[in-house]
Amino acid sequence: MLGNGMIQGLLVTARNLLRSYFDPECLTTIQYPEERRTLPENSRCFPFLVYDGTPDNLRCVACKICEQECPPQCIYIEVERDAKTGKPVRRPRVFDIDYSVCMQCQICAEVCPFDAIKMDQIYELSGTDRFGGMLMNKGALLKSNEYYHQMHPTEANEVDARLSQSKKKASPPAAKPAAAPITLQSAPPPRPTPSAPPSPSVPPTPPVPPKSDV
Amino acid sequence: MYNFFDQLILTLGAWVVGLVVACGNGVSKFCCGQPLSEAAAHNVAAGTEIVLICVTIYGVFALCFGLATWLERKMLARIQNRYGPNRVGPFGLFQFVADGVKMLTKEDIVPARADKLVHFLAPAVVLAPALLMFAFLPFGRNMAPTNLDTAVIAFFAVGAGSEMALFMAGWGSRNKYSILGAMRAVAQMISYEIPLVLAAVPVVMVVGSLSTSQIVAAQGADGFLDMSRWFVWTPWGFAGFILFLVAATAESNRCPFDLPEGESELVAGFHVEYSGFKFALFFMAEYIGMMAMAGLGVTLFLGGWHGPKLLPSWMWFMGKGFLIVCWLIWLRGTLPRLRVDQLMAFAWKAMLPFALFNIFTTAVWFHLPKATLLQSAVAWLVTAALVAAAYWVVSRFVCRRAGALRVYHYAS
Amino acid sequence: MDVTFIILSLITVVGAIWAVTLRNLIHGVLSLVLFFFGVAGFFFYLNADFVGWVQILVYVGAVAILAIFAIMLTHNLTAKDEPGFFSLRWLTGMAIAAAVGAVLWFAIKNNAAMLQTAPAGVTSSVADIGRKMMTDWVVPFEVVSLLLTAAMIGAIVIAMEQISHRK
Repeated sequence: MLGNGMIQGLLVTARNLLRSYFDPECLTTIQYPEERRTLPENSRCFPFLVYDGTPDNLRCVACKICEQECPPQCIYIEVERDAKTGKPVRRPRVFDIDYSVCMQCQICAEVCPFDAIKMDQIYELSGTDRFGGMLMNKGALLKSNEYYHQMHPTEANEVDARLSQSKKKASPPAAKPAAAPITLQSAPPPRPTPSAPPSPSVPPTPPVPPKSDV
Repeated sequence: MYNFFDQLILTLGAWVVGLVVACGNGVSKFCCGQPLSEAAAHNVAAGTEIVLICVTIYGVFALCFGLATWLERKMLARIQNRYGPNRVGPFGLFQFVADGVKMLTKEDIVPARADKLVHFLAPAVVLAPALLMFAFLPFGRNMAPTNLDTAVIAFFAVGAGSEMALFMAGWGSRNKYSILGAMRAVAQMISYEIPLVLAAVPVVMVVGSLSTSQIVAAQGADGFLDMSRWFVWTPWGFAGFILFLVAATAESNRCPFDLPEGESELVAGFHVEYSGFKFALFFMAEYIGMMAMAGLGVTLFLGGWHGPKLLPSWMWFMGKGFLIVCWLIWLRGTLPRLRVDQLMAFAWKAMLPFALFNIFTTAVWFHLPKATLLQSAVAWLVTAALVAAAYWVVSRFVCRRAGALRVYHYAS
Repeated sequence: MDVTFIILSLITVVGAIWAVTLRNLIHGVLSLVLFFFGVAGFFFYLNADFVGWVQILVYVGAVAILAIFAIMLTHNLTAKDEPGFFSLRWLTGMAIAAAVGAVLWFAIKNNAAMLQTAPAGVTSSVADIGRKMMTDWVVPFEVVSLLLTAAMIGAIVIAMEQISHRK
């Protein structure tokens, strides 16, 4: 009969129309700036630098492995030199990442032997300057270990465990208590005891680079 | 109490007219030292009344246009499992205000090689018939703007004027998409005007008048049964109503008959080259024309302003019109666009014979005796059987062939 | 003279003159529409509103559209050989126009009913027109419809010939 298909179609649309008021499955839109989906734990965006406790205590030792490995060459590192002796200190003076070039491949995080560079989840970036707007310097890149724990709890716990283990193995007596005592309490899952920050002089042998765990 | 609300708008109008006449008297006394003469006062009152009627109708329906765009976006969104506009005002109700401001502030672009005059005139010419059509609809008890003897045919005649406007828009733009859209629009509207008029003919036959006021009066009954004599309850009236709805959808160029502006093939059809407020006028003309068509459908088949005395008459009219608009939106959310050959085949091979047969059915109904209840039931059943048989024949033999699969020579 | 009459005459005459003089054919058709509206206005002015509405419905809604379709389907929109004012074609056209005008003039002049003004208060209702058409004038009415049918069949035959040629 003429019109059968039309009536069936009308029923389908009517059902969708009415169900969208009762059934959340029929209204899948998220009102983005106000409502957000919780990101999956392993989602990642741009790299950042992890510090323990205070921003001075960053894990990076300016070994420049990430700079060499970075496929789009978006990382630029300069080693800090002692003001008096001129000898290199194991920390970066300049650590820049150009987010507009970065392709979020996570290779820098894979190769870092000190677990100093990790992947962030902040994806809402915008700027008005096309060339320098997304160039992040060290200050902008530094983020705390707590933040890392909040973002990727499983992965961060693993990293912490590994770091503390290698610390014990490498220099059990020589661990300098001068390093700032760190209190890390914000991360929700239970963690092993927090590791001492890698002070510039401590690790003679770098720990095994972490395996890809995601 | 009921009468108060029923005639509320008229009372307010009379009050304003009286106020204006009194002011006129005051001004006249101040200037000339004597009140207005009898004839002058009458002229002032009549002029004020005309202005008031126009302002009220256009104000109300411009607002309805805005709300209809909001409703359309909201309903379509819900059908597609989205929220729809919900930013401006509560539930996004003021979205149309924001849209209007946007349209007003946009640049008005005229193509360099366009026919400037025709391109400029088309939006005005397209809106005029749409607005004029309201002049012939009775909106409530004692609320007909005009009381023409020939209102139904006047409605269709005025509506026919918009075809020329669409052609002007398409041709004046000097753009191949717009001219294609315009030719499609003209061909479609001229084809569907015939079933549209033929669908209205049974009502005119039974009432014996072309006046919309009399058509509405013929569908009235007393008290709570005020909906018992709507023509849509009779078999021929039902068939006519369906035919009218389909043809009205095509006349107002709405989905599934929106080939003239088919976005996927013609960008936007006849109004490709219009931007800013000229585009808004086209948009407005489409919606206001759609509401006018809904109003005529209500007048012809759904009893006009008649309804159980729970609501004032004008509310019944607006409510029924609103339902038809909702139906059109629902249809738009459901059906895909027709092909041109299907469109023409449906108009000429399915709707035209069915409409003609419906006129015959109406004649049968008209001459069958309906004095007693039993006779009425028999008449109802006989005409219902005729309509059903006609529908079956149309769907079995005509539409099957009209909707046959097209053979593609190269694409298959 | 009545202001309404003057305005309507202006619309009608200007529309008619434009329709024949404008070189752009589409503009000509649009002026023709203006002319049709003017004529419809005359019918309203004469209290024959049914005829006025039918004038709009049929002439603006259908005839003008048909003219547009005819123009759009024609290949050469502009005439290449523009005949001079005193060419044979112009003369023939003027002769035909004069003949039609003369016939109309004599018909009006010699018909007493045409010249007398309608008595005041008489309006032609649609019902009266319908009744007349179905009783007194039913034969001319049917003849006209036969003519239209014949025209339609002729159009179909011409179209069919073209289709068979294509095959």
